[in-house]
Amino acid sequence: MSLFRLAWYNLWRNRRRTWITLVALAFSIMLVQTSHNLSTGVYSQMIESGVRAGSGHMTIYRSNYLETRDEKLGFDPQAFIHQLKSMEAVETVLPRIYLGGLAQSSRESRGIVLSGIDPALEQSINPILKRLPAASQLPDTISRKALVGDRLLEELQLKKGSKFVVTLQDRQGEMVSELLRVHAVVHSGIRHLDRSLVMIGRQRAAALAGMPDEVHELALIMKNGVKDIPADEIEALLPANQELNLYFWDEAMTNLANAIKLDYASQQFMFLIILLIVTIGVVNTLLMAVMERTREFGTILALGARASVLHQMLFLEALILGGLGLLIGTFFGSLATWYLVEKGIDLQNWIAGELEFGGVVFDPVMRAVWEPLWMLKIGIYVISLCFLASLYPAYRAGKIVPAESMRK
Amino acid sequence: MMELIQLRNVLKSYQAGVQQVDAVRGVNLQIKAGEFAALAGPSGSGKTTLLNLIGGLDQASAGQVIVEGCNLAECSSVELADFRLQRIGFIFQSFNLIPVLTARENAEFVLMLRKVPAEKRHARIDILFQQLGISGLEQRRPMELSGGQQQRVAVARAMAAEPAVVLADEPTANLDSETATDLLFLMQQLNREQGTTFLFSSHDPKVIGLADRVVNLKDGRIVE
Repeated sequence: MSLFRLAWYNLWRNRRRTWITLVALAFSIMLVQTSHNLSTGVYSQMIESGVRAGSGHMTIYRSNYLETRDEKLGFDPQAFIHQLKSMEAVETVLPRIYLGGLAQSSRESRGIVLSGIDPALEQSINPILKRLPAASQLPDTISRKALVGDRLLEELQLKKGSKFVVTLQDRQGEMVSELLRVHAVVHSGIRHLDRSLVMIGRQRAAALAGMPDEVHELALIMKNGVKDIPADEIEALLPANQELNLYFWDEAMTNLANAIKLDYASQQFMFLIILLIVTIGVVNTLLMAVMERTREFGTILALGARASVLHQMLFLEALILGGLGLLIGTFFGSLATWYLVEKGIDLQNWIAGELEFGGVVFDPVMRAVWEPLWMLKIGIYVISLCFLASLYPAYRAGKIVPAESMRK
Repeated sequence: MMELIQLRNVLKSYQAGVQQVDAVRGVNLQIKAGEFAALAGPSGSGKTTLLNLIGGLDQASAGQVIVEGCNLAECSSVELADFRLQRIGFIFQSFNLIPVLTARENAEFVLMLRKVPAEKRHARIDILFQQLGISGLEQRRPMELSGGQQQRVAVARAMAAEPAVVLADEPTANLDSETATDLLFLMQQLNREQGTTFLFSSHDPKVIGLADRVVNLKDGRIVE
């Protein structure tokens, strides 16, 4: 017989109470683990969607471009783009030009952002373009064919094949215009983007802006996503004389990064509240156990046990309770995570339309990812909380006066 | 025989609400090693309080309680716990066995606290259970035992660590008279065979009659 065994027996004196506490503990652990795994999966999906449609896992800009969006801050990537493309970690490099201007149809005019892209590269990466059938893709970088956001198309009262004029300021400050034709309509699901997006071939855009060979953005898509990005190696390739800066996705896409951070923080707060409520349950269970066993604790002390023996016994009871809750909770948490990894939750069954978060449209099928380290971390938190929950009951038990307790 | 327990002018007062209750009033008492002594007296005469003071469960309000040369008033709570563990065996009126433990585990409890290895514990309890006539009941829990059997397990627990003195507070109060007499005979036998000092309290004249020495208490004082 050991203290552990005694603690184990003690826990099962009141089976119903112990089971209720265990179920609450296990359920909250399952909930916390599963929600974390699911939200981590969803965040990854959002980041991937965001970086592929937006700035890439890493982005190269001229100094101050990100802050000012000054179109004059372009750069020539020819000196190092091939080296970037040949890096092991890099899947592809997307050169882009962004120009602010005005689109005019025969009836309406609207402010736009003209994006100059390399269609062949973007089609395989950018989720907005991936959805388009092959016939709707831009044929090359020089043609006058344009992809137009669906809302813009509607507002300009255009249709597929219609002509429209884009007017903007070139590098020298001169107003320049270009006649374009609607080749296909794109729908990103992001309202402001769909109201302002015009995509054409990069060479055509560069020629229009009078900045041949220059780009505003080099988006780097990495093979392993945001993990293990060789930022130092990439930075070493950048020529010093061009004042280029390398940005991680969260610096370039601050809206998305901040939205995820905020969501994650509120989720952590919820986790904390859930675990605190459960801790109060554990404190209650142990405190009740102490009050019910006052006479017995008095006997144990009378027999010669130090107060520390009672402390140890209650710590053990709390740890066994926490450990069992953790095992059961992790088992069901793993089952739920497995289901969410394999099958996911299709939000389209409940929510109509596009799902936008932090300026990024994400896949309606939410999938979890395995985060074993985090699950372990929750385990450590729970065990620590159970230990903390036993402190007050243990203190109360240690304060029992044997002679008084046996008089009761 | 040397004096194992000495009480010198011991006084114990309780505060019951606004009233002060003097449970023990100036008691002087010596118990020699190996004695089989009884504290007799009606309810409220101070028997339990006196046993609690000797066992280090309570502190005297005045006077000295000296057990094996150790003045208990000078001991810290940890030292008192160690003193009880090493030197005192307790038997309680309502047995006070731990309900979730088996008879063997209850009897071994003090040995476990003293970190005696399992094999030695088992051997010691086997002998005691045989002596007390409860062999075969080792795996039963207190609920599955009669009152007399439970009190024998409590005696085994008190004797397991070979204490200097066993203090028994009304050990037969919850037993029928036959079982009570049997238990007292067993305690007497252990006293004779192992030389353990026994000090027990009772208000039952039949039980008191088995003691080698009787100390009569009334209103917290020893009376002739």
